[in-house]
Amino acid sequence: MLVDYLKQGVLAGAIAGIAYGLYVMLVANPLIGYMEALAEGAGGAESGHEHAHTAGEHAHAAGEHAHAVGETTTTVVSIGSGIFWGILLGAAFALAFYFLEPALPGRGSTKGYVLAGAGFLAVSGVPWLVLPPTTPGAEQAYTPTIRIAVYGGLMLAGALIAATAIYGYRRGSTRSRPIGLCLAALPIVALVAVTTLAAPTIVESGPLPAELVTAFRGLTALSQAALWALVAGCFDRLQARARDRPSTEQRVALAASSRS
Amino acid sequence: MEATETVHDRIGTARNDHTTAQLALVFALVATLAFTLLFVQEPLVHDSLHNFRHAVGVTCH
Repeated sequence: MLVDYLKQGVLAGAIAGIAYGLYVMLVANPLIGYMEALAEGAGGAESGHEHAHTAGEHAHAAGEHAHAVGETTTTVVSIGSGIFWGILLGAAFALAFYFLEPALPGRGSTKGYVLAGAGFLAVSGVPWLVLPPTTPGAEQAYTPTIRIAVYGGLMLAGALIAATAIYGYRRGSTRSRPIGLCLAALPIVALVAVTTLAAPTIVESGPLPAELVTAFRGLTALSQAALWALVAGCFDRLQARARDRPSTEQRVALAASSRS
Repeated sequence: MEATETVHDRIGTARNDHTTAQLALVFALVATLAFTLLFVQEPLVHDSLHNFRHAVGVTCH
């Protein structure tokens, strides 16, 4: 049964990943290239200012990185990594869904979407409250190792918040649905409030126009949310299809009983 | 079946149906994929994944 879930999860992830890979190729790649060139230009223009100078150096380094490997390689790797990212999320989703399905609220396909929402919160949403998606030319405090640790800690916090929200909904919805939804929203709103007030600014967006940075972050958030929704949607369809046909285990049992 | 099943039952089913090695393999594969995409510092791999990491919005840079 676990294997069936995993197979469906990987397949759903691959389908969603192809869509995501196309997004990376057609939208993200040109956009990031443009932003890198822009950050480089802006950094070079005010190189007298030390702040801008370091930002320019970073952008320059990033620009060189992009050229260290060929354009074609980057395109192929972008699509490939998009597909692998989908497969990774799909596999993780299927594993989590297999174990947590009995505890998730809702009926039928709702369970999957609830888990996808929780996954988005844990993997992206909550970490972004402190470490928003970095744009080219951005300056970041601390070393990468510390930032990875912070990101990991925030993923754990995100998973806990999602679990608390689901627990709150289950407790509250025994009385009425609106109470359940309010209880579910409570920990998320509290976390957003705490992080906006208390968290230090780690990512400085650098020399790029603020509107462009906002648009890039919005695009990143929406594409990740869409990827999760697509994984959950495809997984649900694949499960529904498998329910109509006997599972692997049942087929094996059937074959064994027909032989004896 | 869904109504009475618990998370505990699911863990039990998984342990009955598969050996510890099989389960470890599944989790190891997922971990390997995550590590390769996000943390490998080998320059060529890291560089060609540069745009991808920007697009996904992860922090390591």
